[in-house]
Amino acid sequence: MKIKISLTTILLLLGFTMVKAQNSTISGTVTDRNGLPLPGVSIVILGTTNGTQSDFDGKYSIVADTGQTLQFSYVGQKMVNLTIGNSNVINVQMEEDAQALDEVIVTGQGAGIRRRKLSTTVDVLTEEKIDKLPANQIDQLLQATAPSAQIRLSSGQPGTASIIRTRGPISAASSSTPVIIVDGVRVDNLNSNPTLGINTGGANVSALADIPVESIERIEYIKGGAATTLYGADAANGIIQIITKKGKSGKGTAFFESRLGVIDATRDFLKYERTGDAIFEPGFSQEFRVGFNGGNENFTYNFGGSLYKDDGFNDLNEQVRRTFTFGFSAKLTEKLKYQGSFSYVGFDSNLDYNANTSFSRFANLEAGDFGNLDELTEDEWIPIRDNTRRIGELVDISSRTSRFTASNKFTYDITRTLQANATVGIDFRHTVQENLDSNKLLIALGSIPPGTTDQASFSRALRDNFIVTGDMNFTHRASTDNFSFVSVFGGQFFRTSDRQNRLDGEGGVDGTRKIDFFPTQNALDFVLENANYGLYFLENVGIYDVAYLEFGGRLDRSTASGSNTKPLLLPKVGFTYNLSDHSFYQEANISNWISNIRLRANYGEATNFATPFAQDRTFELSSFLGVPAFSFANPGNDDLISETVQTFEFGIDLGFFKNRLNLSGTRYVANTIDALFTPVAAPSRGSQNQLRNIGKVENKGWELELRAAILQSERHQMNLSVSYNQNENNVVDAGGSSPFVTGGFTVLGSVVAEGESLGFLRGTAAVLQDDGTYEFETNSFLGKTFAPNFGSFSLDYTFKDKLNLFLTGDYQFGGQITDLTFLLRHLGGVDNTGIPEELIGTTSPFNYVNFFIFDNDYLKIRNIGLSYNFGQLSPLFSNVRFGITVTNPFNFVKADADPEATGSGIALQNGFSSGGFAYGTESAPRIYMSSLKFQF
Amino acid sequence: MKKAILLLIMLAFLINCTDDFSSVVDFTKVENPTLSEESVVGQPNSSIIWLDGIKRNMAFVYNELLVLAELGSDNYVNTQTFYNQFLDGLNLQAADPSLRNATREIARLREMAVFGLETVGPGDSEYSKATEADYNFYMGLSYMYAGMYFPALPQEPLGPAVTAEQNYLDAIEAIDKAIELNPDQTRYLMAKSRINYFLGNKVEAVSAANQALAIDPAFDNVVNFDENAPINVPAGTNPSNIMESALYERGTFDDLQPLPTLDFLDPKYSFLSAEEDAPVHYLKAEEAFLILAEANLADNNVAAAQQNLNSLLALIETREVRSINDAIEDRSQREPGSRPDSSIVVVNGRSNLVLNRKSGEIQVPSVSGTSLTVNDIDGLTADDTGLELLYRTRQEVFIAEGLRFVDMGLKLILDENEVLLNGNISENDLGTVPVLPPFLTAVVDDLDSFTYDANTGTANTVLDVNAILVANKSSDFVLPFH
Repeated sequence: MKIKISLTTILLLLGFTMVKAQNSTISGTVTDRNGLPLPGVSIVILGTTNGTQSDFDGKYSIVADTGQTLQFSYVGQKMVNLTIGNSNVINVQMEEDAQALDEVIVTGQGAGIRRRKLSTTVDVLTEEKIDKLPANQIDQLLQATAPSAQIRLSSGQPGTASIIRTRGPISAASSSTPVIIVDGVRVDNLNSNPTLGINTGGANVSALADIPVESIERIEYIKGGAATTLYGADAANGIIQIITKKGKSGKGTAFFESRLGVIDATRDFLKYERTGDAIFEPGFSQEFRVGFNGGNENFTYNFGGSLYKDDGFNDLNEQVRRTFTFGFSAKLTEKLKYQGSFSYVGFDSNLDYNANTSFSRFANLEAGDFGNLDELTEDEWIPIRDNTRRIGELVDISSRTSRFTASNKFTYDITRTLQANATVGIDFRHTVQENLDSNKLLIALGSIPPGTTDQASFSRALRDNFIVTGDMNFTHRASTDNFSFVSVFGGQFFRTSDRQNRLDGEGGVDGTRKIDFFPTQNALDFVLENANYGLYFLENVGIYDVAYLEFGGRLDRSTASGSNTKPLLLPKVGFTYNLSDHSFYQEANISNWISNIRLRANYGEATNFATPFAQDRTFELSSFLGVPAFSFANPGNDDLISETVQTFEFGIDLGFFKNRLNLSGTRYVANTIDALFTPVAAPSRGSQNQLRNIGKVENKGWELELRAAILQSERHQMNLSVSYNQNENNVVDAGGSSPFVTGGFTVLGSVVAEGESLGFLRGTAAVLQDDGTYEFETNSFLGKTFAPNFGSFSLDYTFKDKLNLFLTGDYQFGGQITDLTFLLRHLGGVDNTGIPEELIGTTSPFNYVNFFIFDNDYLKIRNIGLSYNFGQLSPLFSNVRFGITVTNPFNFVKADADPEATGSGIALQNGFSSGGFAYGTESAPRIYMSSLKFQF
Repeated sequence: MKKAILLLIMLAFLINCTDDFSSVVDFTKVENPTLSEESVVGQPNSSIIWLDGIKRNMAFVYNELLVLAELGSDNYVNTQTFYNQFLDGLNLQAADPSLRNATREIARLREMAVFGLETVGPGDSEYSKATEADYNFYMGLSYMYAGMYFPALPQEPLGPAVTAEQNYLDAIEAIDKAIELNPDQTRYLMAKSRINYFLGNKVEAVSAANQALAIDPAFDNVVNFDENAPINVPAGTNPSNIMESALYERGTFDDLQPLPTLDFLDPKYSFLSAEEDAPVHYLKAEEAFLILAEANLADNNVAAAQQNLNSLLALIETREVRSINDAIEDRSQREPGSRPDSSIVVVNGRSNLVLNRKSGEIQVPSVSGTSLTVNDIDGLTADDTGLELLYRTRQEVFIAEGLRFVDMGLKLILDENEVLLNGNISENDLGTVPVLPPFLTAVVDDLDSFTYDANTGTANTVLDVNAILVANKSSDFVLPFH
């Protein structure tokens, strides 16, 4: 009986407990060490799959059992385990974890390695920062936010190419755009017009416009040198890796965001207000975004989708973007983990003729084709304005892109210390560009006589770019009392197929886009295919947990090399010393002042592969008046190989006052050896020019960054970061070739020549002599197109975690630009501003081009933003955030022209571009955007 | 044991499969879609396709030479920025890529002819004598252009610079081979006549001209242009007629403007069809008559010269005159109305030299045109006045064909790359520095100049270049028969 009772009691007690456990809701607030609420903290009941996340006010609630343990974890904070006692309220104050704050870098390392172990630098853009920015194009996101990269948008038209550079122009043969990787998979980064693309005169469609930027968790940007050695081929310009969200375990969350904006052309750089009156027309942008994520211990997911439309700042631009992405992470077994991500981006845009074409309205008006617009009477002006608008209605240039990117990553823990990683993925980008020049348009342009009805032309350019990436590596981690070892050994490949077709129809009537309705048709075909592959290894040795020695390399091979060549061995070695990590230092008084001292040095090599097929001796076959005709084509080069950039860098990172003030400085010297030049062949050969490894290019410079937490209280937080970069570029050796023009004209060109900066400006300068006459000095150096000094700055203020105000901007100085629009006005006799009287009309303006060269200094505020978190306005939402941003509000420049808008310079597929010519290109517009985000 | 055998069989099966399967996972295979040498050499009929490639290359040669030659002469002036900026002022700069392109195309014409003769022809089972003759002819033309436009030019890749005279002689040698293989081709004979004319070999020039006229008194050989074929095949080339673009197709860009005395002859090239651009009539019977006339004047045989010129006029009468709409031409767009643009304008005291383009279609000769009249011919004399008339006629008949530049004794120079990269050529060698007639360099700024009063409808060229040429007839630069 006694036993019976006891059993009953126990059962009852158990039952009670069970009932109690089911009903017991533990709640509380999670704060950081300043007492500020921490949203998004993961709270899991240990030993179960139950979990939740703290809301925006740091509040959480979870049903749990007494005696169970709650685990609180959050990036950058020490993990907290608390056993549930009697109280139903558990408030947690988390502490910063120095080790955890030291983020794990994956890009360029083969495996994730903590930042403090690395001798190389990496710029990281976090989700939080990205979320605030109104842009949805990768280059615009990074503009003014990546401290040591400079990004210049070459035109204000939608989706057009940019010039990106970090450590100077390293190659005369290719674009300085970095490789872009999404979750370990290379994606198309063509930042120029494709070879068979539609020529708009200036505005070139860029693949950067449709790289998926939805659901980004973080962006890592490494800048070449040792950091990129393991990537080998093509990584010398650096790598931007986008790591997408895979979801977090715990309570599912969702958001809906609506962004509305007004796009207004900037008139800062206009010569004539009337140009703007004729062409500009404020546009509206609308965007809707949704996202949700969640999961449990074994499976997490994230979905994001958006729809975007704007109708541009001028009367004909329009862009539409449709995207969705999803990512997930699954623990298949205790040892095997799988992460997958997939994205789709659809990007449609309409472009106007720009710059270097007689069809460009903007260029024609600004270049004085109709005289000084300001001096025209209304009667003279109105027909010009109306015809300009009519042309705007008739211009028909469109681009439609669909891009699919998928990544799969498998991680298998072979033992506790040995892990195998495999990544395989694809990127497929399909673009259709169309250009219809109707009879009506050609008549309005004055190209054909009125009444003509059979001269319409139509072009369709198709490009399919397919990239497959594969990577497999083994990572071994080991440690003894005083040493730690991370060893990585792996192999990687990628393969690109770029297939282009172009269909041209001529002699058509208006009203059709069907190519076979045009009496004359032409088809063109272009293929680039290449594969790059290699083996790599890396060893990172930790010494007493304060110093790290890393060494490794890659054996690299590319199909874009000649038959006489061997795989390239690219070594890297680096050393980093965290002086302030010594316990003696931490105990010393000085550590209160200088809290962090880190020294680093490294050497590494990275390459740019040659243009695929440039090694082959080929012949061409062309139709000539209906019959086939052979001709010589590429002369061929069996010795062609990737150019190698050898980078030596050293740097120091200092933290003051408990790391409230951080200074980072890096000095680099990068030499491009076997630099790829396409020198002019001796004309007596009667052949095309051949790509050859004959040059040497040197880049030297400094990268300095300051980050300061100006205010750091419970109520106020203010962070400032400023960067300054200096780059000195020099073509050390041009392999005996004569200077060659890479942009512009012969009489005024962007030139590659020994002893000068790549793409410097050269032309005939009129130099005033003592006797008051002018001497004309041909082939004079007129300036560097790449400004040797540049940087960015940002200021971010948060009040009570509710109100946020931020500002970003960038600047450059020390370079020059040609104001070609001015030159054309002057040629037309419309504008003689600043030209000496003695020269006007007495000689060709091409004898005094120095008067059209201006400093390309600028300081531009890129974004100013304000947002407010309303918190839980209704039980439906965990938070409502309202924000407004202004993009490109202020431009301060030295020249009259926009030193950034140099669209006409990026015409060659993946070609070198210096952007030294401002000509008839509309600048990036001002965008006023509001955003309303509901979080569930 | 059984298991082991089974396993072995399965393994063998697997390996067998994977052998064929390897292409599925081979990521290193790439294929260049363009042609390799095996596709060009050793194939039946390849010599004909190669020959058509050479003919196509002739378009490139003319595209490079014509703009330079017409700007360098007094025929045209460039009022825009698109075409060469230096030649109007005869400012020969070694760094000017136009010079490089011109020499490259002349060299490519030669290299293609050589590759045809040495490699493609012998490898083709269908190789004919006519094709071989043409290969020799184009090799000769390459040397001829070298002689016409350069004081000295290499005859092989990185070879020494060969004088214009030697280039002419080698051209004759190559063309003689062509004539031997395929006689009675007017283009071979006319080229031979021209080269001898420039060499001052009157007898040979007259003989070849007469032979050509005997075959066909109205012969007309053309360089064809394809309006529709892709550009940049090979890189840097364009198979459509660039001169046509400069004169007509670029519409509102009134790039090249003629001397007012030549207005009625512009544009010689205009829209032909969507497939084909207007051809250049490069070796035509008119030239034979003009050479005969000049030879007769040199021999004081006025009557014979008159007969030659009457034949010339009769021939020109039969040549095509095109009716075109040129209302877009503004003479010029930069400064509309700044140049004579109306038929009422009298230039140098002569009327009917300027067309009114704004009132309907205009009639422009597309092969040859001239202001020469029967009365002019009747009054022909063997003195300087007669020679001036002859040179004026040459200027008119050959407008936009690149011959005026040579008639003026002008020559280009070698490009800086040749000097830098060719071990056989040093700075200041013949061909690297301008060799120009001093009587023209003295007045170079006025070559294209004129005065114009729109109100009175009078225009006058500042210079009479034909008079200057004739006044210097004893100079080695000009009038080869004198």
